[in-house]
Amino acid sequence: MKRLQDYAQANRWVWTAIGVALLWVILSAVSGRWSLSSLSGIVLSASFLTVVALGQMLVVTTGRGNIDLSVSAVLTQSAFLALVVVKGDDGLIWLGVLAAVALGVGVGLVNAALVIWLRIPAIIATLATGYILASSALMTNAVNFGPRVAAPGLKWLAAGKLGGVPIFAMVTLALVVVVALVLRHSVFGARLSAIGQSRAAARLAGVRVNGVLAAAFVASAVLAALMGMVLGAYVGGAFLEMGQPYLLQSVAAVVLGGTLINGGRGTALGTWFAAILLILMVTIMQILTLPRGTQDLVQGVVVILVLALAARSPARRGARVPAPQP
Amino acid sequence: MAATDLQPARAAPIVALRGISKAYGATRANDGIDLDIAAGEVIGLVGGNGAGKSTLMKVLCGVVPASAGEILLDGQAVRHLHDATTAQAHGIRMVHQELSLCTNLTVAENFFVEAPEAARWHSGWRGPYRSRAKAALEAVFPGHGISPDALIGDLTLGERQMVEIARAAATPGVRLIILDEPTSSLSARRSAQLIAFVHARAAEGLAVIFISHKLKEITEIATLVALLRNGRMVWRGGASDTSEAHLIELMGGTEAGARREHVAGAGPVMLRAGAPWSDQTLALRAGEVVVLSGLEGSGQQAFLQALFTVRSGADRSAPVAYVAGDRRKEGVFALWDVLDNIAIGRLPGRSGLGLIDRPAEALAAEEPAARLRLDAGRLRSPILELSGGNQQKALVARALVGDAPVILLDDPTRGVDIATKQDFYRLLHDLAAAGRCIVWHTTEDAELDHAHRVLVFAGGRVVADFAGAEITPAEVLAASFKAPPKVAEDQGVAGRGALRAVSALLPYASLVVVLGLMFNANPITASAFGLELLLKPAVALVLIVMAQMFIIGGSEIDLGVGAFAALVSVLAATVLPHSTALGLLAIAAALVAYALVGALIQWRQIPAIVVTLGASFIWLGVGFSIQPTPGGVAAEWTRTLIRWKIPGIPTSIILICLFAAIGLTINRTPLGVTLRGFGNNAEAMRLSGWSQVRYALIRYGIAGAFAAAAGIVLTAVNSASDINSGTSYTLMSIAAVVMGGASLIGGVISPLGAVVGAVTLTLLGSLLGMLNIPSDLNPATQGLLLLAILAVRSLSVRKEDAA
Repeated sequence: MKRLQDYAQANRWVWTAIGVALLWVILSAVSGRWSLSSLSGIVLSASFLTVVALGQMLVVTTGRGNIDLSVSAVLTQSAFLALVVVKGDDGLIWLGVLAAVALGVGVGLVNAALVIWLRIPAIIATLATGYILASSALMTNAVNFGPRVAAPGLKWLAAGKLGGVPIFAMVTLALVVVVALVLRHSVFGARLSAIGQSRAAARLAGVRVNGVLAAAFVASAVLAALMGMVLGAYVGGAFLEMGQPYLLQSVAAVVLGGTLINGGRGTALGTWFAAILLILMVTIMQILTLPRGTQDLVQGVVVILVLALAARSPARRGARVPAPQP
Repeated sequence: MAATDLQPARAAPIVALRGISKAYGATRANDGIDLDIAAGEVIGLVGGNGAGKSTLMKVLCGVVPASAGEILLDGQAVRHLHDATTAQAHGIRMVHQELSLCTNLTVAENFFVEAPEAARWHSGWRGPYRSRAKAALEAVFPGHGISPDALIGDLTLGERQMVEIARAAATPGVRLIILDEPTSSLSARRSAQLIAFVHARAAEGLAVIFISHKLKEITEIATLVALLRNGRMVWRGGASDTSEAHLIELMGGTEAGARREHVAGAGPVMLRAGAPWSDQTLALRAGEVVVLSGLEGSGQQAFLQALFTVRSGADRSAPVAYVAGDRRKEGVFALWDVLDNIAIGRLPGRSGLGLIDRPAEALAAEEPAARLRLDAGRLRSPILELSGGNQQKALVARALVGDAPVILLDDPTRGVDIATKQDFYRLLHDLAAAGRCIVWHTTEDAELDHAHRVLVFAGGRVVADFAGAEITPAEVLAASFKAPPKVAEDQGVAGRGALRAVSALLPYASLVVVLGLMFNANPITASAFGLELLLKPAVALVLIVMAQMFIIGGSEIDLGVGAFAALVSVLAATVLPHSTALGLLAIAAALVAYALVGALIQWRQIPAIVVTLGASFIWLGVGFSIQPTPGGVAAEWTRTLIRWKIPGIPTSIILICLFAAIGLTINRTPLGVTLRGFGNNAEAMRLSGWSQVRYALIRYGIAGAFAAAAGIVLTAVNSASDINSGTSYTLMSIAAVVMGGASLIGGVISPLGAVVGAVTLTLLGSLLGMLNIPSDLNPATQGLLLLAILAVRSLSVRKEDAA
């Protein structure tokens, strides 16, 4: 039992995983059937959220309360960009990917520059770039750039299934594994955790703080941009408010998953499970035909409750043990 | 010496400590200490670093509980837990080494925070505090030249220390003052004034505990001397019975370690430093232990930083490892265990994409850990569970594990026990012998014994370079005083003043420019009717901005404030028109819920940004349940609230000015000052006896009231409500508050600036329309304006200040 507790302590995703299992049992009970296929639909919906949340998690892990508020605007803008560039033609998907990556890198670098050079708090800097991107999405939407259809190839990626399993869910799982490995077993992951705990200490330990910070913002924007392209294909176009839900939900998924909001410790698996948890919760409430208002309410209460209960976990208290002072 | 034979037969001491022990993990910071503090006594508390002085004082002030022992106040045992409130009620005040002033408040306001009883709810309430601050400063430091209206943030370190001391001394009912290294940032003149003041007040019956490393000072000022060593009281007696040399001997200062080999092996040159450090180029070689000495703060640390970053005249030919002096701020990674803390030393120079083989890294980290004799059984414990000395060992191990040929150390033995120190000295010599170059900044003169070479700093320059047998404490000391040390006193910040003034004016200038362009593009807008039309939408935003401003004043952000206003708007459009009483009750209930969220944030110490985000779902959910689609009607009386007219003046302008005035007034009352104090230095507020949860409740109560008013106005203006309208207000409110001159951390807010920001952001959209710029560009213009103002502001603030 003690070992189990230690394991859960070190691997905070365990809690969300347990939450997912419990909710799935509840879902099966209320819907009256045990089916893996219902779960696969949920996992697909959660995958869209997961990709954005993984980027958000990297930014949150850099510490100082950093949050990327521009993800929703990047996502929307990218969905429009994909329509303009790919034009529903499978042969142009490579160009679309290139454009999405370029958009992500550009926005990420601007965010990083504002935070590093102008020392504007991340939440304000990304709020401002979000405003600017919102304008550009509005303007793209107003332009008549031809038929607004998704390329079949992208549609296959977003909505297709292989052997009953959604393709994009597998892609996302692979991404989760890669990010988890990067966090835990790469030099970058160690550096990211270090700057999230103490920038001064990281600098003196030879970490190039600004480089790591910039990488996190770029990764967040690139993931949101790629997600915009895929989501556009899934919904079969692009619309102005499509990124909106992902802003708040990505932060919620990151925090529920066990990533420390104060930085220094992120968990990709936890983020993935938390995204599934959030979608499961909504699905159950939909099956129970709870009105939308109640659904929002329950989500809010769950986020606050989880935070309030997790607040004084030993990991955080450990950070506050008063060291013997000279 | 036994504890009893010095007990004088007189009135019960103000405070008596009996057998106080305090353990941190395995470390016994205090071990069975007895101490009586009687009125009129000046006790000099001395001891080496880590002897347990600070811990003992924290126990005495009730900041940390003792593990064992008893505290008697006026001879009475403290029945309940001895805590900060009890200590304060008993007239015990401590002047901390880390200052406990709120830098965003004025000198007078900081006096208020410490003794709020005299504050009244009228406009001149600062008056008494102003005169109290003036008198207190004048009493201790005649000719201080500090204005009671100066912001603490604008004062120098020495001036802040003066304010802190004067504040403690002037507290009504104070009976015991503890001064922890009070003269460390004071000039000689101010130190002399302080000593004279202590003598004068002691004669009137005030008790003083004076902690200092300057033993000469102790023998000058104290009537009694108490000496701690390794957490135990090893000597106590009259100041006349002791001497500097005696005290040093008692502290173990003369215990000489292994004397150095005076001659260093002459290895290749690893580091060079020229101007501005020295006129000749200094070459530091492999195999050398180079000690940086001099009076504290004479440029030693800046020199280490220059060597580390290869800047300002310093150059090096080899990789470097740095051992930080301030363990907690610049050393440890609190979330990691000891091995991970060591292993990060292997990362410099590696590609970010490289993989870490964890077992191999752990193995590599174990080698230096063993060399430093870190307990092998605790290598997987979180680093903060180790004692300070062992944490420091881990940091040194981190420097070793990367095999960097150059090691820079910033006073690594501060707060480390003698045995560990001896380990360090031996290790540094072994490392030098093995061909590394050691550059070591120390504040302990005894450590000069271990140097091959000493660079003496004064006034930010190397003033002497001794090697081998030339090194004697007397020579080094003499060299330290060669150049006059920089006196930090009375140094202004005039340099950036101009840019700062410009950046402060920017929000107002932006509004003037926007208005000017608008009047020019369409003269009708300059009429009362035109302004009324344009500013109507700004009224609700101004209220939400006021709400957000009070939250930001507490160094928090509310991501749910817009949604909350929208919820109240829904209540005002649905329940209120049917029943005024029921409607007001519903709004009041929402307000209570909102305030409770604020209290929850402080109670559980969870990040406001996420909690308010979660709360926004709740507000939206409730609002959506009540009214799924936009609609409803406004209650008639709410419409009349905003429909009255004074001929010639747009009603919106009057309302905006009214709300701004309310915000401004609250901000300037004692309550507003208290709220900002929490935003700046919550710990200091707590030490002064203020309840964090209670004021969180009040803060969110005020913010919620503004947001609720915004909701009612929204419904009255639109004659309907829409729960989805709130979200855009949230982001806009943050933008307006920050644009107006607030900083997200530090409790700095500007009500007028925030209102002006809100109005500017509202008008910007209309202006674009008049200039025939597509409205799609509206958000981008808002974003760019926000960035432009913040960019100018960040340029006007020094980098170190912002960090």
